[in-house]
Amino acid sequence: MSANISDAIDTLNSTIAKVASFGLLLMTLITFAIVVFRYGFDTGWIALQESVMYLHGFVFMLGAAYTLREDGHVRVDIFYRKFSDRSKALVNILGTLLLLMPVCVFVFTVSWGYVSNSWQLLEASKEAGGLPLVFLLKSLIPAFSLLLFLQGLADVIRNIVFIQEEALE
Amino acid sequence: MEYIALVLFVCVCGVLLLGYPVALSLAGTSLLFAGVGILFGGFDASYLSAMPSRLYGILTNTTLIAVPLFVFMGVLLEKSKIAEQLLLSMAQLLSGRVPAGMAVSVILVGMLLAASTGIVGATVVTMGLLSLPSLMKKGYSPELSSGLICATGTLGQIIPPSIALVLLGDVLSNAYQQAQLNMGIFSPESVSVGDLFVGALIPGLLLVAMYLIYVVASAWLNKQSEQSDSEQKQPIALGSLLSALVPPLLLIIIVLGAIISGSATPTEASGVGAFGALVLAILKRTLSWQQFQQVLIETTKITSMVFLILIGASIFSLVFRGFGGEELIQSFFATLPGGAIGAMLVVMLVVFLLGFILDFIEITFVVVPIVAPVLLMMGLDPVWLGIMLAVNLQTSFLTPPFGFALFYLRGVAPNVIHTAQIYRGVVPFIIIQLILLVILFVWPELATFLPDKIY
Repeated sequence: MSANISDAIDTLNSTIAKVASFGLLLMTLITFAIVVFRYGFDTGWIALQESVMYLHGFVFMLGAAYTLREDGHVRVDIFYRKFSDRSKALVNILGTLLLLMPVCVFVFTVSWGYVSNSWQLLEASKEAGGLPLVFLLKSLIPAFSLLLFLQGLADVIRNIVFIQEEALE
Repeated sequence: MEYIALVLFVCVCGVLLLGYPVALSLAGTSLLFAGVGILFGGFDASYLSAMPSRLYGILTNTTLIAVPLFVFMGVLLEKSKIAEQLLLSMAQLLSGRVPAGMAVSVILVGMLLAASTGIVGATVVTMGLLSLPSLMKKGYSPELSSGLICATGTLGQIIPPSIALVLLGDVLSNAYQQAQLNMGIFSPESVSVGDLFVGALIPGLLLVAMYLIYVVASAWLNKQSEQSDSEQKQPIALGSLLSALVPPLLLIIIVLGAIISGSATPTEASGVGAFGALVLAILKRTLSWQQFQQVLIETTKITSMVFLILIGASIFSLVFRGFGGEELIQSFFATLPGGAIGAMLVVMLVVFLLGFILDFIEITFVVVPIVAPVLLMMGLDPVWLGIMLAVNLQTSFLTPPFGFALFYLRGVAPNVIHTAQIYRGVVPFIIIQLILLVILFVWPELATFLPDKIY
């Protein structure tokens, strides 16, 4: 049952990351198009530039949870590297409960009012000709913390199961 | 209450050593301190309410868009084996024709890879896998071979367009604005990522030149001539050589040229570079669709890693400031003898020591925003400060026992090479780095001359 929860969270975050990663391809193509328009035709659109910015946000905010799953966030591993698997699991359980989860809860709650204000106004870009979607960009902040929290949960479940199984052997 | 800021810094370092991801350790420990501070007084909760707009600031920072695009370009060139072919062709071209030809070609390709990928890990691993065996076969000592590969692998830190310089440039430009506002200058001058790129050019090339002199001189002193093997007698196939060398070289020249001529922003140049790498990869047809998706995912992971540290560091710096840490640093620097120079020496030493345990990203986001405004208010040049920091951080990548480049090479080096040999091998290169730091210290113009000239 608990393993199902962590597997479901894994699938959710890796699907999101795979979709978000295509943002990089779009960013590359749009940025190249911006350069061609600017130097070739001396013209440009704010909306195009902002779309690169939006895609950039989508990539790293929605990729953060998947990166945690893949152990892609840098650690200072001078001692960690030499720990036993059990100690590593303990570090990850405690780290998730005492560091990751409080941070996610904090970011989520502190940004809630900020983001819901933006939704009520359906806030648009301050630049003339910019994208009218600032509320979506801001929504990435609670979405990021929610997904990271979930991935932390999956991680804790997996590590607890690991320690239990090891104790049984 | 100011000493609490110091306790916070020490505790963060302690928590980091446990090995939980850096970004979350930074943010979590800081929040814990803030929570205790709010409960018992001494911390104003309103500092934390600035967090959403800080995060939004990170989301809308257009300079940092260059980071994922340069990473994408680097991963593409690596995974499509373009970097590999560049190294093999260069070795074929130079070995047996110039003194210490194989070593020279490793340095030159290292420089080019640095200019195109700027990812230390990727460069060291690629070079370690490809050129370590050939260097040894040519009769180079394990020490020189491994030292050479580690050192050239870290060139990505300093040779533009490096990701380290993008991050450093962004942090320094904020620090420079803040320093001038604090001094009552309300129409502040600015410093950009482009300035740093241009400023890093001469020091970077100087470093490459010193590496070259060292390997040629040591080959000459040891009367060591490369052992020739049968394959190098083969005539060079000019066509395949050109097709391996020219496209990536052209790409690097376009990207650098656009930035240095001042016509394109680093973000635009990174977009052109990534697009060019994409075209090259498609033309080479070495990349399957699945591998391409792998490239995208890999880039997403590296990007998320960098930006999560930025988020964690911004929570840390809010709390650090809330406890009055800035005033603490300021008054500490004021008590140092020697004014700006004394302060600079202390900062360089601290950064060097922190470099043993922290990566350049953490140091750039955590330490530089704290110390840079104070140093700049003392009148130091921002470009010079940036280049000094970049060279310093690059050196820490090489320094045993915790240098990252050493780990990467250890991971791919065959077991016949002892770790102690790798450590001994990097010593001459560390000395070269330190010589460069001294040269830059004595002649700051080496870093500041070109940016002044161009902008």
